[in-house]
Amino acid sequence: MTDLNLESIHMTKFSGFKLIVLALSALLTACGGESEPAATATAPTTGPSGSEQAQAYYAANPDFFSFKTAADVPTDLVWEDGAELPDIGSPEAKKGGIQYEAMQDYPRTLRHVGPDSNGSFRNWILDNVAVMLAHRHPDEFDYYPGLATSWAISQAAKTVYIKLDPDARWSDGEPVTADDYFFLFFFNRSEHIVAPWYNNWYGTQYTNISKYDDYTISMTMSEAKPDMLTQALEHTPVPEHFYAEFGPDFVDRYQWKFVPTTGAYYIKDEDIVKGRSVTLTRVENWWADDKKFWHNRYNADQVYISVIRDTAKMFEAFKVGDLDMFGLNLAEYWYEKLPDSDPDVQNGYIQKSVFYNQRPRPNYGLWINTDRPLLNNLDVRLGINYATNWDLVIEKYFRGEYQRMNTAFDGFGEFSNSAVLARPFDIDKAQEHFAAAGFTQRGPDGILTNAEGQRLSFTVTSGYESLAPVLTILKEEAAKAGLDFRIEVLDGTAAFKKVQEKQHEIQFTAFGVFLEMYPRFWESYHSDNAYDDAFLEDGSVNPARQIEVQTNNLESFADYEFDQLVDQYTASSDKDDMVQLAHQMIQMHHDHASFVPGFVQSFYRIGHWRWVKFPENFNHKHSDSAGELFVHWFDPVAKEETLAARRSGQTFEPQIKIYDQFAVGL
Amino acid sequence: MRLRLNPQTLKKLRRFREIKRGYYSFVILMAIIVVSLLGELLINNRALVVSYEGELYFPTYTDFHPGTDFGFTYSYEANYRDLQARFEQEGSDNWVLLPPVPYSPNENHTVTGIFKADPPSLEQKHYLGTDTTSRDILARLFYGTRIALFFSLGFLAAVYAIGISVGSAMGYVGGWFDLLFQRVIEIWSNIPFLYMVIIIFSVIPATFAISTRIAILLAVMVLFSWTSMTYYMRTETYKQKARDYVSAARIIGASDARIIFHHVLPNTLATMVTFMPFTIVSAITAVTALDFLGFGLPPPTPSLGELLKQGTENLRTAPWIVMSAFGTLVVILTLVTFIGEAVRESFDPKKFTVYK
Repeated sequence: MTDLNLESIHMTKFSGFKLIVLALSALLTACGGESEPAATATAPTTGPSGSEQAQAYYAANPDFFSFKTAADVPTDLVWEDGAELPDIGSPEAKKGGIQYEAMQDYPRTLRHVGPDSNGSFRNWILDNVAVMLAHRHPDEFDYYPGLATSWAISQAAKTVYIKLDPDARWSDGEPVTADDYFFLFFFNRSEHIVAPWYNNWYGTQYTNISKYDDYTISMTMSEAKPDMLTQALEHTPVPEHFYAEFGPDFVDRYQWKFVPTTGAYYIKDEDIVKGRSVTLTRVENWWADDKKFWHNRYNADQVYISVIRDTAKMFEAFKVGDLDMFGLNLAEYWYEKLPDSDPDVQNGYIQKSVFYNQRPRPNYGLWINTDRPLLNNLDVRLGINYATNWDLVIEKYFRGEYQRMNTAFDGFGEFSNSAVLARPFDIDKAQEHFAAAGFTQRGPDGILTNAEGQRLSFTVTSGYESLAPVLTILKEEAAKAGLDFRIEVLDGTAAFKKVQEKQHEIQFTAFGVFLEMYPRFWESYHSDNAYDDAFLEDGSVNPARQIEVQTNNLESFADYEFDQLVDQYTASSDKDDMVQLAHQMIQMHHDHASFVPGFVQSFYRIGHWRWVKFPENFNHKHSDSAGELFVHWFDPVAKEETLAARRSGQTFEPQIKIYDQFAVGL
Repeated sequence: MRLRLNPQTLKKLRRFREIKRGYYSFVILMAIIVVSLLGELLINNRALVVSYEGELYFPTYTDFHPGTDFGFTYSYEANYRDLQARFEQEGSDNWVLLPPVPYSPNENHTVTGIFKADPPSLEQKHYLGTDTTSRDILARLFYGTRIALFFSLGFLAAVYAIGISVGSAMGYVGGWFDLLFQRVIEIWSNIPFLYMVIIIFSVIPATFAISTRIAILLAVMVLFSWTSMTYYMRTETYKQKARDYVSAARIIGASDARIIFHHVLPNTLATMVTFMPFTIVSAITAVTALDFLGFGLPPPTPSLGELLKQGTENLRTAPWIVMSAFGTLVVILTLVTFIGEAVRESFDPKKFTVYK
């Protein structure tokens, strides 16, 4: 999918973690260079192979890596296989054709982990392509099988048993076996990959992985969470045979090597044209070609992705037919650059589609750093909440198409607290709160000042260059309440760096939220991620505490009572209990007023050429973008026909379609 | 210290006046600068005069007036366009005199209810239309040009001050001083200018006021641009220093300061003046380029570069944005270039030059 949409502005799936991963790993590379100068010199070609290292590691950690026999699998398990779920995609889909795509930047690596590996290109080689053990069904939310054929939960043992599909093959033809899942844990716990988040996650969230035979494994979690299946099933294994030269120089050695995939598309060496393009090629006789949930998907023979650095140019390339699809989420593109009256639309060459989806929403809003002077005052924060006119932005800049976000945790079904509503723009209330904080006098420019002559002025930083107009509108409106926003628009990396160093006052940003059952609180709201040692033993504030950098707690949110709730929530395995805790925490977070909820977009929309076909209902309920699930296909006859028609002036019926079967509250 | 104009210089000035194209360009540019100084009276959302309940208000240059001053219920700055409409509706004796363009460069003003680029409209007094967030283009263009012009004049003054001092000193003192500075300049001038500006400016905290940030941007640009002037001044000073009249002055017993300021500098005037317009052009271009790339003046400061950027992004749908920004840039740069040509010509000792 050609990205010009809000979804592409924030990071993709997993970004809540990926954000941390990126920054930390960059830091570690810098330090690692000094402490291990000989790292690259000791090329592991002569040392033990990746496989041998892994075997030694398994032997050294017998509690974690267990080798058992098939007889050890409990017999009283209830196996599930998701077979009753509906098919994905359309039975009318035809294989073939080339999908033409564009990306703004050339990927910086083809590795899946380590420095620079979490760019948006990851979608093409991992997130949207690689097959995991099982996937959430995009309509039903339940799991459907990928590399697994069935799975069973033992709640008491905190263990998930998994039967693997013996048909599964890596793109280089090797079978996918239990060993690759063992290797997954060895790999992700290794320091060589320079990915501390992965080291931590695979080191703390699991207590055991067992192999019963080549195609039966089990994983044991440290906590039996209600979504234990997610933890067990959303894994792509790591190919043991590929990492023969695994070692301390992993980051450099595997920088441009395509990792064999379980998915439908692989990259040939000659198709990596540095700085220009990457071509994905469909695996011949892909192992999942005839599987129920996969046979109608990944239809194009090749996906050609070229670099076009400028979105305006990308749009022009789409307009001449060099690109097949273009995201039209921004009103500017939908209404002005490709209006319904555009000749290509009116003549039926280009079709426009809007699709309303349902999923957790990225939390666009103002993140207030409560560690900063003045911003540590509740009244100032409440004032800022009332002085931020998101409603105007939504109504006039987004043309009323987006909705106001109410909390930072919208879209999680019963886990979201629908009783909490965002504070509306209200100049009088804002001024009341500012007055309570001592800001009573308006200065010569209309900005409030306190008795010491301090101006009520804060820097709002953002990395979203394309959303800068939003901030200028908020600035003009806030000035009415006597509040000054100084706007600082940095490039994405610089803004991210600033907020990771906690140097910001107020940050306009969002974390990508992926399709999961319940929101996460620890990452952004636990005091562990705000200060090194936030509270003394009796729960009072530690006066000597230091700010904790490189975490996702952008609000420096630290509340002793809240911490206890987060811990309870993390430890809880009872869904109702968790729902109740979530509601309580969402209410507390709202009362703390350290976040000004922005907007949510409840749809995505694209323009695509007539030869790109989508299923009858266009896409699935929880899909994030039109291309994500690869349910579209290409009709070569229609392509010839359309291009010829365009030359001769022949026209077709215009197609502007709104798919609102999953729209909520319209 | 006053540079006495000698007959030679007067002759050059006379000749400059005779070159009509350059002379009129100069007059027009000066007029633009003067007008831009009075910009608040022409393009502003604050009224020029308000007569309310028998009292006269002149809000243009004063502190803001909350709406309550004029009988509105709100405490933020009065909207004088609304005020005018209200007075007309009431039919009272109160009246408001608004500037010809009643918009500030930062306010979003829409008639359609949506913030988007609207084409020029006489009726709405958006004479050049609005940009993508419904801000008046004429206002943004005007204030953007003003900032660019004064920015470039400041740039010129600073670059010249440093360039002339260092260059003349190199030429006059010579020896190791000259050698040392030549090396320093060689190294310094090899640092890519635009990148350095981008890097340095990106770490300047946004807590500074916009005027401070502009001053810092100016300082950074000067820091990496003063070198070009030094070499010209160095050669020129060398040349003059070797002339007989300098030796004569020295024999009479003139001090170094006197020789530099009274004899050498006035004779290098031709070089200085000739490069002036080009320095201005390069400053305007650089600040526009920086804004275009998003590294220049912080939003929502009006700027030519930012308008150009919006314009190129909306070439097809809102051509009026790019037309006005591009037009202004062409006009200003052409004027300055014409002046530069005329200056060069009038300072050329040969009146008729034939290129072979």
